[in-house]
Parts: sequence; C-alpha cells; structure tokens
Amino acid sequence: MRYAILLLDAPYTSQAAHSALRFTRALLAKGHAVDGVFFYHDGVHNAARLAAPPQDEPHLVDAWAELGREHAVPLQVCIAAALRRGLLDEQEAARHGKQGASVEPPFELTGLGQLVDLGLRCDRLITFGP
Amino acid sequence: MLLHTLNRSPLSAVLDQALAGMGPDDRLLLIEDGVIGALPAQQARFESVAGRLYALHEDLESRGLLSLCAPAVRVVDIEGFVALTEECERAVSWY
Repeated sequence: MRYAILLLDAPYTSQAAHSALRFTRALLAKGHAVDGVFFYHDGVHNAARLAAPPQDEPHLVDAWAELGREHAVPLQVCIAAALRRGLLDEQEAARHGKQGASVEPPFELTGLGQLVDLGLRCDRLITFGP
Repeated sequence: MLLHTLNRSPLSAVLDQALAGMGPDDRLLLIEDGVIGALPAQQARFESVAGRLYALHEDLESRGLLSLCAPAVRVVDIEGFVALTEECERAVSWY
C-alpha cells in the first residue's frame, strides 16, 4: 500500500515525532511504500538542521534525514509554517536576506498543495498530532 | 470501517469527541498517553467500543502499564498498528 505521514508537532515537545518515526519505520519494514512525510504546524521543527540534542538522546532530525535518504522517502516541509518559525533553506534565506540556512536536503520546503496531493494519491494518510 | 487513534488520557474531553465520532464498526487504538485508558479502572468509559478497543504495546510498556492492562483491551505492537491501518479504509487521529 501507499502511505503518507502527517506530523504536526515539534521534536522533544510531545511524543508525536517519536510515534511518527516508529510508525514510518514499521511501514518500510513491512514493505509498504511511503510517498512522503509532510511536516506541518510545529512539525516543521523536525527539519531544523542545527538541532543538537544531547548525545545520549535520539537525534530525531538526523533520524528523519537518514530515513529519507535510505528509503527515498520525500521529507516535505510546509513552507509557510517553516518561514514564520525561522526554518529556511538556502534559497529562502537568500530571498529574505538571512545569513545561513536552517533547513537542508533531504528536507524540502514545499507548499500545502503537496499535502493535498499526498492525501489524494495515497491509500492511507496517517496523522500524528501534538 | 475506520481506525481512530487517541493520544490523550481519558481525563481529556478529546475522548468524548472521539467516541462521539466513531461509527458502529470503527476501531479505537490508544497510543501515547491514551494508553492510560487501557487500565481496568477506566473501562467504564469505553463500554461503547467493547471488543473494538486496542492499545499500543510500546506505549504501555514505556509507561510501566503493560502488566496492568485490562483483559478486554487488545494489545498490539507497532506492526499491529500498521496492520490496523491496512484493514481499516481510513485513519482518524484524535489529539
């Protein structure tokens, strides 16, 4: 089956990011296709390139990036939710005159239309809320 | 048949909303703090979903509640969560 994941809360704020990551890994282990993980609302903080949690704690940002790279899962970040929270890729940082980018590949800033597309295209859309 | 997930304890008004939003064949999976609803003392709240109530093994275990779970609650692990989403045509998240 084709799945999409919607994550709505920041890492280390609630359990949502842990739950979504564990569920997505289980999907992939079972052979399902994951067409995308969409980060929306405070969920966009999962794409924070500069996150530096203590070394004895799970690094959720790196974990998403690793999952995205290893399994070719698109990591789509709502651009409107991201910009207002200071999460900018190189292109947006340049556009807004900011020094340094806080989002890097495999995360990609994208529009809300991508979430609609995932919902239409996939057999299942599973939401992890705060 | 829909799968509903709930991540709030039974103290939350979200439980009432979830129960009110469930169809007669729908299933309810308790995750995160929602697994507190799997305790025997909470079962009266879930009478309307008897036989259709599930709780996530990993979240019960991480809270030390696994051995305290009510017998009527079906405990599923993360693979069981995936299986429930396969069996149900859509998933609704309550939070």
